[in-house]
Amino acid sequence: MTAGTSHRLRFLVGVALAALLGAALLRAFVSGASRQIADEAEERKAIVTLQAATSLAHSAGDGDAVRKVMAAWQARTPSVSQVRVFLADGMRLEASTAPGDAGERAAPRRLQREEKPLYDRSQRIAAAAQTNREEQQARKAEIEAAPLGGGRLSLAGPVEKDRAPVGLVEIETALQPTPRTPGWSGFLLAVIAPLAAFALLALIIGERRLPLLLAGVACVAVSLFWMGRAAAAQIAAEQQRAAQAVAERVREQGAVTQEVARAQGLKTDPAAPGIWDVDGFRKPRGLIAADGSVDAQRLGLQMKEAAGAVRKTLLAAGALSLVLLLVAGLGGFSAVGATLRRHRQAYLYIAPAMLGMLALVFFPFAYGVTLSFTDSNLYNTSRPLSEIWVGLRNYADILGDFGFVKRSESGIFLNYLNFYWTLLFTILWTVTNVAIGVTSGLILALILNTKALALRPLYRVLLILPWAMPNYITALIWKGMFHQQFGVINQLLQVFGLPAVSWFDRPATSFLTALVTNGWLSFPFMMVVSLGALQSISADLYEAARVDGATRWQQFKAITLPSLKPALVPAVIISVVWTFNMFNIIYLVTGGEPSSSTEILVTQAYKFAFERYRYGYAAAYSTVIFGILLVYGVIQNRVSKATEA
Amino acid sequence: MESLRRVAAAALTALVAAPATAATEIVVWHAYRAEEKAALEKVAGAYNAAHPNTHVSTLAVPYDAFADKISAAVPRGKGPDVFIYAQDRLGGWIEAGNTVEPIDFFIDKDTKDRFIPTTLEAMTYKGTVYGLPLNYKCITLIYNKKLVANPPKDSDELVAVAKKNTDKAAGRFGLAYAYSDYYYHAALQNAFGGHVFEAGAKPAINNPDNAKALEYLLKWLDKDQILPAEPSTALITALFNDGKAAMIFNGPWFLGEISKNIDYGLAPLPKIKEAGNTPMKPWMTVEGALIAAPSKNKDAAYDFIKYLTDKPAGIVMAVEGRQSPANKAVYAEPKVAGDAVLKSFRDQVEVAIPMPNLPEMTMVWSPATTVMNSVTRHSASPKAALDSAQAAISKDVAGLRKK
Amino acid sequence: MTGSRLRDEMPHGPLHLILVLATLLTLYPVFWVFSIAFSGKQSLAIADLPANPRAIDRLRAVIPWPEKISASNFVSVMTDQPFARWILNSALVAIFTTVLGVFLACTAAYAFSRFKFPGRRPGMMAFLVSQMFPGTLMLIPLYIIIVQILGLGSSRIGLIIVYATTSIPFSVWMLKGYFDTIPKELEEAAVIEGASAGKIFWRIVLPLAKPAVAITALFSFMTSWNEFILAATFMDKENMYTAPVGLRFFVGGFSQQWGYFAAGSIIVSIPVVLLFLYLQKYLVSGLTAGGVKG
Repeated sequence: MTAGTSHRLRFLVGVALAALLGAALLRAFVSGASRQIADEAEERKAIVTLQAATSLAHSAGDGDAVRKVMAAWQARTPSVSQVRVFLADGMRLEASTAPGDAGERAAPRRLQREEKPLYDRSQRIAAAAQTNREEQQARKAEIEAAPLGGGRLSLAGPVEKDRAPVGLVEIETALQPTPRTPGWSGFLLAVIAPLAAFALLALIIGERRLPLLLAGVACVAVSLFWMGRAAAAQIAAEQQRAAQAVAERVREQGAVTQEVARAQGLKTDPAAPGIWDVDGFRKPRGLIAADGSVDAQRLGLQMKEAAGAVRKTLLAAGALSLVLLLVAGLGGFSAVGATLRRHRQAYLYIAPAMLGMLALVFFPFAYGVTLSFTDSNLYNTSRPLSEIWVGLRNYADILGDFGFVKRSESGIFLNYLNFYWTLLFTILWTVTNVAIGVTSGLILALILNTKALALRPLYRVLLILPWAMPNYITALIWKGMFHQQFGVINQLLQVFGLPAVSWFDRPATSFLTALVTNGWLSFPFMMVVSLGALQSISADLYEAARVDGATRWQQFKAITLPSLKPALVPAVIISVVWTFNMFNIIYLVTGGEPSSSTEILVTQAYKFAFERYRYGYAAAYSTVIFGILLVYGVIQNRVSKATEA
Repeated sequence: MESLRRVAAAALTALVAAPATAATEIVVWHAYRAEEKAALEKVAGAYNAAHPNTHVSTLAVPYDAFADKISAAVPRGKGPDVFIYAQDRLGGWIEAGNTVEPIDFFIDKDTKDRFIPTTLEAMTYKGTVYGLPLNYKCITLIYNKKLVANPPKDSDELVAVAKKNTDKAAGRFGLAYAYSDYYYHAALQNAFGGHVFEAGAKPAINNPDNAKALEYLLKWLDKDQILPAEPSTALITALFNDGKAAMIFNGPWFLGEISKNIDYGLAPLPKIKEAGNTPMKPWMTVEGALIAAPSKNKDAAYDFIKYLTDKPAGIVMAVEGRQSPANKAVYAEPKVAGDAVLKSFRDQVEVAIPMPNLPEMTMVWSPATTVMNSVTRHSASPKAALDSAQAAISKDVAGLRKK
Repeated sequence: MTGSRLRDEMPHGPLHLILVLATLLTLYPVFWVFSIAFSGKQSLAIADLPANPRAIDRLRAVIPWPEKISASNFVSVMTDQPFARWILNSALVAIFTTVLGVFLACTAAYAFSRFKFPGRRPGMMAFLVSQMFPGTLMLIPLYIIIVQILGLGSSRIGLIIVYATTSIPFSVWMLKGYFDTIPKELEEAAVIEGASAGKIFWRIVLPLAKPAVAITALFSFMTSWNEFILAATFMDKENMYTAPVGLRFFVGGFSQQWGYFAAGSIIVSIPVVLLFLYLQKYLVSGLTAGGVKG
């Protein structure tokens, strides 16, 4: 589309795209919601069935009684294809209606080798029940569901004696197939109708942009609104149907269990089957009344929630479609297309690098940032992120914890795990390191820059050697040299009669070891940068200054320093960023000793992730580190540009 | 590519060598070096020779990267069939899911009975067994035979012998051990009935028995004055090798660092009179053979680890790998029974307690070290230090459990 | 005239003293590693001290010369494990990383320097800012992408891709600055003569940017040669390990074998030090003359 395209065409395309997007979003939401309602209903029905079987198993106890009861129950429950009762004591398969468990393999028998998953399941559920009881919270699922393919589900829950799990009941049940995806007629109508309406209006309006825009918005909005209403109605109806289905199952199972129990001569609770509608943690959902009828109030609440969700989706879809309409109608796409074509050579050149960066640098970073808004830790890595979303809580915990000094009976002591202490320490670490690096590098560069210095190439080569060696090797070398008993540093101290220092036992000396190591590693970089900058200063400037009578110090201040700045400033920025995140040196040389007092922010984040298993928290920590460096970079850039100008 | 080639090769083999089934591949990861690595490879070789239908291959991984590698690779199905590691990470891996396979189902009574019971406990998490114990390590009493004729049996004797050998001015100490390392202190703490967690992984580090143990340590430090002031591991080694420490508490890892001119002996840790004559009960680290949850050959894997923890393999690991096997029967073998070092640790392990394998344990170390440091430097009283450690650990554990 | 000039300059004597001191301090750890490596033992100490060491004994323990020179550590390192194979792996990965990294960085930097297009400044900022990501926590997402999604576990290609990509930001930043200092007139003249864009890039611009390209190559090589954690996690076969992984066997866990570590360190450091020295004449010019101006 070039600039000559008519506005009407642009807006027509915009309306089409907007209607498509809006309708697609709504349709996706509705089919997702339908599937969720249907799945939940099926799951609830299955759980109710399981709980019914379990209550029968409880009444029957064990032995022949439970076998007869299970057989009878299954005969009356067509949706269940098999039920098994397993008792952990002696690994006994107590009852089974599975077709394969007949004849020689009939229950009761010990589990066979290939039936290990059943045993493991029983152990898992028992452990989950125990954990939940000990921690007094519902953290681990006590009812396990495993889809079997072909629309069948395997569901297992504990069987208890004196409120302690002693085995499990497992049923295989057929699930009703999920509803077919809704017909396309509604979708097509929601796309074609506004398009047709707009086309007509556009013919009338002509080439004026604002009226065209308003017309387009109106068409799309009306269409989406109508579609949303239909969606809300559909979802409400489905929820109603689902609730009825579950209630019916409850009543049916209630009747079946009564029948079976009576036939076998067992005692059972005067049916209060409503309690069988529980969630995965065996907590009642409260949606079915005790006698098996739907609790209208709770259902009403659920339906209101769903209606709210529809409304929110409608608004979001509407907003996005509007944006699309605006962009297309006002010529956004044609502009982008033109730009891409005009600069295609440039984009081609940067494409490979950008692709790699996007996949391997930006995406992991985005993943980390997303993780920082969740409470991801060791226990919930398998749950979807939306369930463990905590928003800014991690950040609040990190940044809001000001307690880095604690008072005790014998004085104050520092809390080394506190973020602000670690931040302070990291800043101290960075500042001292960069200062040492710049100073020593600059001094050596100045010396090396002396005219007609003998052996200059030799010195230069030898002095950049620390930079060439891999830094994890040199870190470990320095750690060895600071060894308390055998390290050469202590030996040297003792040659001069000084006592050997236990370097890693006090924060100050531990810090010193890391400082020395990193100083040794980083001065060559600064030296080289300074050398380069010094060599680019013309000697004539100095000549002129000397002729004017300036002293060496004045020459330094007036000529050398300003010429060094453009080279040193970027080098300092890079050095600050690298030192701030210098994981290897701290981790390998001090390891944070003693007791985490010499941790910097990156090593602390690492330990939160891999030693305390709090991945969300560690991700938030890393994002904060990134934020600090970003702010520093922006400020530093602005300051240096200001002074340069 | 690699897998495609393997599939093609397997298909070809299946077509050509019709009756013979392809050998089951079992991959084992470990972090051993030198003699332990050689011993493990010898055992794997013997297994392969005896079982032509299975092929066991071992891969050595650097210790520093091992735990992270397992955490990254195994849950995603890219790891080994068997891996060997100590029990301290076991709880964490179990909770992470899809990493370690429970093996109660495979274990029969005979296999269960072959192990020292506490080692099997170390491999048990919330009532389920997750691995077969391979070997154990714990600290014991190591003494300089020139300075100590008979190793002390209880705390009174210990203090007496230590006092005789202590001369602070000359830098000689009767007893030297890393008492500010919580792992070492646990031996004393457990004698007083101290513990770290209560049922349900509830942190309880500030219980009164722990405080009593700390006060007892302070008695050794301040009243009896038999311990050095700065107990770093490097210093302890230096003192012992210079003949300046009469007795130390340390583990098998230390024996390789003892200088040749020291004639040393091993003895069980003494009984503590003030704790009702209970012996010091050190924590033991148990290395176990674990089966990876996504493994496709769990039966074969179990067969291998059963062999690995059996008597013949145990003898190889003990004699050539210098490990202390968890299998009781190994110690009847003359080569092992005659080895003074192995016998000493076997006697010590009778009273050792397995270190907790809960994931919450990793959150204990840092606050516990702070407790030891502040108490031994007299900057906090035992009760106050324990209370603040309890607060820190509870906060960390709660942070992990927040819904 | 000459007299006053001489008087104004610093006398070289004290300067040499400072330089010699600095060089000795800089090189001491290197000497130390050599003496441990050639000592044939596993101990950290250069010399065993007698029971009551005098100052002379301690001085001996500080001087980096082994008591007995022996090459046994080197022999053990090369024969007890497939160390040569590991170094070969490191070399292959490093070379390909350098080639790929330089290629990607040069093309991108050239575009940023020569073309004006929308998204140019945000792109440069993005490269700069990406250096501030703490990389230690990217292990899991990178593992998912490389090993799970792309199936490149235990393959050198996986490592090459990751290393090349992570070395891009710094390289692009430096190269762009250097390209900026190459006068555009040269290229414009070539365009008038009818040369294609590709030829201009390869025949005219790149040769002029040799110092910066050399630095980029050096940097990519060093990033790849020194990386440990990703190599240890991605590689599932012993013969695919790289040199840093192999070295870590000696000093991890409970017992440290300093002799093997020192010998291995020397073997691992030699290639990169040689490369460094070979390219060091470009260091000064490549890094500063326009390079680090950003």
